[in-house]
Amino acid sequence: MRAFVPLLVAAATLAASSAAAHTPLCSCYDNGDGTVLCEGGFSDGSSASGVPVKVFDASGKVVLDGKMSENSEFEFKKPDGDYKVLFDAGPGHEIEIDGSDIVE
Amino acid sequence: MRASVVALTAAVLVGAASTAHAHFQLVYTPEVMLENPAEIPFKLVFGHPMENGHVMDMGLPEAFTVTFKGKTTDLKDTLKEITWTGAHNDAKAYETTYKVRRNGDYVFALTPAPYYEGSEDIYIQQIAKAYVNKGAMPTSWNEPLGLATEIVPLTKPYQTYAGGTFTGQLLAEGKPVAGAECEIEYINPEIDMDGNAFAKEAKGPVPASAIVAITDPNGMFTFGIPRAGVWGFACLGSGPDKEHEGKELSQDAVLWINAGTLQ
Repeated sequence: MRAFVPLLVAAATLAASSAAAHTPLCSCYDNGDGTVLCEGGFSDGSSASGVPVKVFDASGKVVLDGKMSENSEFEFKKPDGDYKVLFDAGPGHEIEIDGSDIVE
Repeated sequence: MRASVVALTAAVLVGAASTAHAHFQLVYTPEVMLENPAEIPFKLVFGHPMENGHVMDMGLPEAFTVTFKGKTTDLKDTLKEITWTGAHNDAKAYETTYKVRRNGDYVFALTPAPYYEGSEDIYIQQIAKAYVNKGAMPTSWNEPLGLATEIVPLTKPYQTYAGGTFTGQLLAEGKPVAGAECEIEYINPEIDMDGNAFAKEAKGPVPASAIVAITDPNGMFTFGIPRAGVWGFACLGSGPDKEHEGKELSQDAVLWINAGTLQ
């Protein structure tokens, strides 16, 4: 649980994605059919192919562990209850998205 | 004698002749950098935005498309005819909405029906582009769409700054157009999206004559942006089509950019 603290800081800086040349970007969408789609990338337009993605349940347990596809996408079955998505492009390049912010 | 007095008075009323000629085909949406998915409204209006002058009737556009990551979608069937209220008159215009979801650059392109300009006895067709970005992810803002004539941005068009510059390259059938005259204006009046109207009074300054840049041998022009707002470039007569229904056609390339402040 404690591990989430620095991640939250990273999420807070997400809005300021304009300054750095290689800022990570990640947006997720509820497909409305029980699946969620996340797309990643970087602010310089580069691909996020192969970037690790994790999905945590409400207790902080990893329920899904995968990678962005060659199209910089990651699709998964929506967990029951609260969940979080972590886009992990390395130190200082993590983005965490709360399931409650993922809408259609 | 009397006729000439009337004519002169009319000319004075519309200001310097050069500003009266600055037609601009608007492709307008209020928010061009989106963080979240949204249904965004578009207004397609033909007018004189800097002097807040006359608005002109649009015919049914020949084409209206959006291009996202190399895929072009036809939006023509979504267009609804509206009446646009200008500061001095009403005119036929069009509106639509578009659902933006995925991250990247969305390039909207309008090919209007040629407009007959009686005062010059010519037709005008302003092929216009406008940009929306989602998620701060750049994808294709710098690429041409392959329109008959178009301005390709060399500066991110949805994120320019007052005090900075904008550079564009004018193309016709994919090749640079040298020596073309590009008129430059900003949208001066407030836009009432719900009421489909320009504000009666525009508060911003109106230069004494048109702001103009001429494209260099590579078709490039650069403009120093003096104030925040929505700026448009209209490069005149750059398109390959020179005639419509037996009359001269000015087929122009229009591009809209959004300038903010960075202080």
